[in-house]
Amino acid sequence: MTVIVLQKEAYGVAIRKELQERLNTSVSVGSVQSALKRMEDKGYLSSEFGEATAKRGGKRKKIYSATPTGQTVLVQMKEIRSGLWNSMPPFQVDFS
Amino acid sequence: MEFHASFPSRLQLSMQTPEQSSPPRWPLALLRFFIRDQYLEEIEGDLEEVYFEFLEEHSKRRARWLYTLEVIRLFRPNLVKKLLSPTLHIHLDMFKHNLTISLRSYWRQKSSFLINLIGLSTGLACFLLITLWIKDELSMDKFHRHDAELYQVMEHITGPNSIGTTTNTSGPVASTLVEELPEVLAGVTARTKSINPNTLSVGDVNLKAKGLYATKDLFRLFSFELLAGSPDQVLLDPNAVVLSESLAKRLFEQASNATGQSVELAHETALTVSGVFKDTPASSSLQFDYVLSFESWSKEHTWVNEWNNTHPQAFLLLDEGTNIDLLNEKIAGYIGRMTEGEDDHRQLFVRKYSDNYLYGGFENGVQSGGRIEYVRLFSLIALFILMIACINFMNLSTARATRRLKEIGVKKSLGATRGSLISQYISESTLLAFLSCVAALGIVFFALPQFNLITSKELSVSFDAVTIGFLLLTIVGTGLLAGSYPALYLSSLKPILIIKGTLKSSWGEIWVRKGLVVVQFALSVILIVSVWVVYQQIQYTQDKHLGYDRDNVLLIEKEGKMQIPETAQTFLSEMKRLPGVQGTASLDNTMTHSDWRTNDVHWPGKDPADHTAFEVIQVDYDAIELLGMEMAAGRSFSRTFGSDTTAIVFNEAAIKYMGLEDPVGMRLDMWGDSPEIIGVVKDFHFESLHEAVDPMIMYLGDRGRYMMVRIDGQRTQSTITAIRNLYLEANPGFALDYQFLDDEYAALYAAENRVSTLSRYFAGLAILISCLGLFGLAMFSAAQRQKEIGIRKVLGASYIQLIRLLSLDFTRMVGIAILIGLPISYYLLRNWLNTFAFSIDLQWYFFLGAGLLALLIAWLTVLLQMTKATRVNPVESLRNE
Repeated sequence: MTVIVLQKEAYGVAIRKELQERLNTSVSVGSVQSALKRMEDKGYLSSEFGEATAKRGGKRKKIYSATPTGQTVLVQMKEIRSGLWNSMPPFQVDFS
Repeated sequence: MEFHASFPSRLQLSMQTPEQSSPPRWPLALLRFFIRDQYLEEIEGDLEEVYFEFLEEHSKRRARWLYTLEVIRLFRPNLVKKLLSPTLHIHLDMFKHNLTISLRSYWRQKSSFLINLIGLSTGLACFLLITLWIKDELSMDKFHRHDAELYQVMEHITGPNSIGTTTNTSGPVASTLVEELPEVLAGVTARTKSINPNTLSVGDVNLKAKGLYATKDLFRLFSFELLAGSPDQVLLDPNAVVLSESLAKRLFEQASNATGQSVELAHETALTVSGVFKDTPASSSLQFDYVLSFESWSKEHTWVNEWNNTHPQAFLLLDEGTNIDLLNEKIAGYIGRMTEGEDDHRQLFVRKYSDNYLYGGFENGVQSGGRIEYVRLFSLIALFILMIACINFMNLSTARATRRLKEIGVKKSLGATRGSLISQYISESTLLAFLSCVAALGIVFFALPQFNLITSKELSVSFDAVTIGFLLLTIVGTGLLAGSYPALYLSSLKPILIIKGTLKSSWGEIWVRKGLVVVQFALSVILIVSVWVVYQQIQYTQDKHLGYDRDNVLLIEKEGKMQIPETAQTFLSEMKRLPGVQGTASLDNTMTHSDWRTNDVHWPGKDPADHTAFEVIQVDYDAIELLGMEMAAGRSFSRTFGSDTTAIVFNEAAIKYMGLEDPVGMRLDMWGDSPEIIGVVKDFHFESLHEAVDPMIMYLGDRGRYMMVRIDGQRTQSTITAIRNLYLEANPGFALDYQFLDDEYAALYAAENRVSTLSRYFAGLAILISCLGLFGLAMFSAAQRQKEIGIRKVLGASYIQLIRLLSLDFTRMVGIAILIGLPISYYLLRNWLNTFAFSIDLQWYFFLGAGLLALLIAWLTVLLQMTKATRVNPVESLRNE
C-alpha cells in the first residue's frame, strides 16, 4: 500500500520514513527491505533502478511499484478484512 | 573489491564532498560480506541515506552506532547470502569420494605408499628442522625495541694493499658523535669483544662470570630487560655492577634482594649492585653475566680515551628516518680530523647492529658473506631435499598410473571432467603430504634435542598461528608440487585409448620421468661431493701444522695475585717442578685471534703512507720453545743474554713485507726505541686459516694475560689436579680456570664443524630418499616387464643377463646425473674453498669417488629389487593371459 501511495518515490528509505510517520514508531531498514524482497519474490512488487544521488554515496535507488497481481491481492485482502469487519459483532463494553 | 568496480561514480561523488563523513567502515565491510550481491547496491545506498539522516539529528558517534545497529538488523534469512549452495554439496561429496578412493589406493599399493610416506616425511622433517634453524638465525639480535635505529660504529682501515674492517674504535667516538650530531640521540661505548671471565665474590661464595664494561646508556639502547633498577640509573656510578638474574641468584640466593648489596670483583674492587637484568636471551649474540661501568675500566686504561688508539665498540641510537648514507659521509673523515691528519687511514661508518650477526663479513671494505652464507646454503639444502622427496612422489604416481588407467578410463567415460580428475589427484597428494607432515612432526620432536646439540641452539616447536599457517602452507605446497604432474598427465589421457588398452607411454612422459630421476641423482651427487670436500677441509684445518704444537698445552688466565708478574713467575717455576709438567711460560695471546696491533714500526725504506699494523705478541722466556716454534734465523729470547728486554723477534712474513735482507742484528725504530732484531721465527698461524699469516712482532715481557703449561699427555688428569691444588695455595679465592689450546683452536672452526656435521646428515638423508624413489621405480619397471622376464627366462637367459638388461636404463640415468652434478659441485666448492686463505686442492678423486658412490648405491638399490623379479618362476608370470 505504501508503495502505491508513494508512487514514483517508492524506494527503501522513503518507504521506511512513510511507515515511521504513519505508524509513529521506528522501523528498521532490515524489516522494510526483507518485507520488500519477500513481496517481490511472490510477484506482488516489481522494481527498477532509479537515479544515483550524492546523498547515497553514488548508489542507485531501487524504485518499487506494485504489479497487477499485487494490486489484485491488495484488493482481495481489503475485501477479506472488510468482510471480517462487517461480520464482527459490535464492541460490547462491560462495566460490571 | 568487485563492488567498487561496479560503482564508478561513487568515488567521484565522495571526492566532491570530502568534508562529509562517511559511514563507519567495518559495519559496511560486514554488510558487503553477508548481503546477497544483487541486493547490495540498493541496501547500501539506503543505509547511507539513513546514516546522513541520523547525522542531522544525532551526534556523529550516536549516528555511527545507530548505523551499526541497522546493519546488524539486516541479518534476515532472505537478505543474507546462501551459505550452502547446491554446488558446494556436490564438492563436499566429491571430496569424500576422493578421500575414499585415495585411502583405498594407498591400501592396495602398500609398498609404494610406504615409500612415498617415508620419503616425504623424512624430506619434510629435514625441511622443517632447517626452517626452524633459519628462522632462529634470522631473528638473532632483532628483539631490541630500537632495532631499527640501533647502529654500530665500524671502521674501514686503509692499508697499502687492502682495506680491513673492524668494530674496534676509539673510546671518545660514541660520546663525541652524540654531542656533535643532532641525529644521534644516544650512544654507548662498551667492550663487547673482550667479555672475559672474572671472579665475583660475596662472603665465601666465589663465582666465575663473564662481564662487560659499558657506558651508562647500555640498557636504554639495548632491550635487555631490567628486573631491578632503572635503565638510565644503573650504570651511573663507576662502582656499580648490574647482575644477571641467574648470577644474582647464585650470589645472593634470591635475585630480588641483590640490589644495594656489595660484591667483590677479583678480590680487589668493592662494587655495589645497582640492578638486576633478565638473563641475556638466546637470540642475542651478546652474552654476558654482569655489567660494569666503562669508566671504572677506562680510568685504569687511560690510553683508551685517546683518538689514536682503538679498542672498544661503539653503538648509536639514531633518530627515526636518519639518512644513513648522509651520516656515513659526514663521519667518514672524523678520525682524521680528530687526530689532525695522523690517522686519516681510519674511516668511520655506521651499520645496523642486527645486521652484524648475519652479514659480518667484509672484504676490502665491501660487505661480503658472513653467516648469511650458511643460511643460504641450508635453505638450498632444504629445498633440494624437499624437491627430491616430491620427485619421488611424482615418479611413483605417474609410474603407477598404468595400474589405475582403467579407473581413469571408466571415470572419464562416465563423464568425469578433467578438473575433477585433477582435483582427485591433487587431493590424494595433499592427503599424503598431510600424513607425511604429521609423521615429519614426530621425527622433528624426536630429533630436535640432537639437532640443538649440533647447532648449539635452543630451538623448539611452538604451535602458534604462524607455525600452523606455515605447516598448512607446506602441506598444500608439497601436495601441489608432488601432485601436479601426475594430475595433469593422467587427466589428459584419452578414455577410448585407455579402455582399449592400446595406450603406450608417450616419449614425453618417459623423458619427464627419467629427467626427474636424473635431477634427483644430480642433487645427491652434489651433496655427496660437498660433504666430502667440507669434511676434508675441516680435517685439514684441524691437522695442518700451524707452525706451533698446540697439543697438551693448558692456558690459564691470570687473575688476582697472579697479575703481579713476580707472583706469576714464582708460580710458573713452582709448577715446573710438578711431575707431568714439561714446561711453563707467560704469554699474551691465545694464538687464535688478532689481539693487539701496532703500526709504529719504522724500517729503512718504509713508505710514509704505509699504516700496516703488525700483530704484537708479548712472550716470556721459554714461550717460543714451549710452543715448539722453529726459528728461521737468529735465536729466540734467552736468559743468557742480558739485553733481551730491548730485543724483538719478527716472523718471516714481516721480514718479507719489510723487504729486509739479513735482518738479524739490525736495529729499527719502534715505540720510540730502537730494538734489535735477534731472530726470525718461522711463520705460524695466530688466526683462523681463513686469514693469511700477517706480519708479526714478538717482544719479551712477563705481563702477558695467560700462563701456559705444557703437560704430559699420558697423565693429563693427575697433572691438572696437582696444578689446581698448587693454584689454590698460591692464589686463594680464585678457582683454577683453564682451557686447552687445541680446544681454543677448534672453537675457531665451530661454524664449519657444524656445517660439516649437519650437511653429512642431510646428504645421507637426501641419498636415502633418492634411493627410495629409485627402488620404487625399479619395482614398478620390474612389474611391468614381468612377462618379458618370464619369456626370456624360458628361452634360457641367465640371471646376469637379465640384471644387465634391467639395470641398463637406470645406469644410464644415474650416469647422466653424475655428469650434470659434478661440474656444478666443482663450481660451488671452488667458491667455498676460496673463502679460506689456506685450503685443500680439489682432487679428481673426490669427484670420481662421489660419482662411483652414487652409481654403486643406485645399483645396489636396483639390484635388490631386480633379483626378486628375476627369481619369480616364469610359470607364475606367464600363466594368466
